[in-house]
Amino acid sequence: MAGHLIFTDKEAAFLRELVKNNVDFMIVGLAAATLQGAPAVTQDIDLWFKDLRQPGIKRALKKVGGFYIPPIQPRPPMFGGGHVELFDIVMTMDGLQSFSKEVRHAVEVPLGGVPVKVLPLDRIIASKKAAGRDKDRRSLKVLQDAQKTIEALEKTRANGKTRRRRP
Amino acid sequence: MELSPDMIKRCAKRKGMTLKDLLLQAGVSRTAYYSLVRKESVLPKSIRAIARTLEVTPTQILVDTEEEARRISARNEKVHAILAVNPAVDPDNVRHTLLLLDQEPEERLRRALLRGRTFDFH
Repeated sequence: MAGHLIFTDKEAAFLRELVKNNVDFMIVGLAAATLQGAPAVTQDIDLWFKDLRQPGIKRALKKVGGFYIPPIQPRPPMFGGGHVELFDIVMTMDGLQSFSKEVRHAVEVPLGGVPVKVLPLDRIIASKKAAGRDKDRRSLKVLQDAQKTIEALEKTRANGKTRRRRP
Repeated sequence: MELSPDMIKRCAKRKGMTLKDLLLQAGVSRTAYYSLVRKESVLPKSIRAIARTLEVTPTQILVDTEEEARRISARNEKVHAILAVNPAVDPDNVRHTLLLLDQEPEERLRRALLRGRTFDFH
């Protein structure tokens, strides 16, 4: 089934190359939410770059046979070719601060054998709330419930640890 | 996959049993036990052949149904505990989150993309 071929090592290779080339980027949107355990559904992987002029992006693209397609209004910039068409470029995130400020709180998730920075679930929720499009509103409940679930699990684990420490 | 008599004896010892006690309690005859121990593989040839073809180990295609039942029951308990403190959350969202948290991040992403592309969701 073709579905099994989604996000193979070929797509992971692009992320690996971005990390290897020290590109400042993070995964955002619903792909970032699913990586943290939210049962969301998505069609692509949104990448937020600090600056699209980072030379490492071109090097990473070349390595996996992809290329950069500059923006032509109203179409935003895109990646093409190779195994990079699954990735979308995000220029700004509604309701969030600058990339440099947000990346400080990014969580690192192992992906394709390398740690990849991912926007935390609470910030994804903040951004979806601010964007306020129909599709954002539809996914909010799932994201919020997932966050409450994760927080409850963390609280249980923390309580367990505290109890064990007592003599 | 063979039976390990040493491991069986060690486990029995840990439980304060001899091999004889163990076989008696398990309802396994000595003949049946030694026949199993002598076998090159306790798994049917067909399972080994399927695993070999898939280039995986037989344990990767076998499911311990009792263990799986225990896992599901533990997960359901967690869902109830989370709902008790967060009554407004959707039980399905909690259950699916717990299911995903049991998987590797890469697999979580693969599932989300697969569903997104299959159902043409936004």
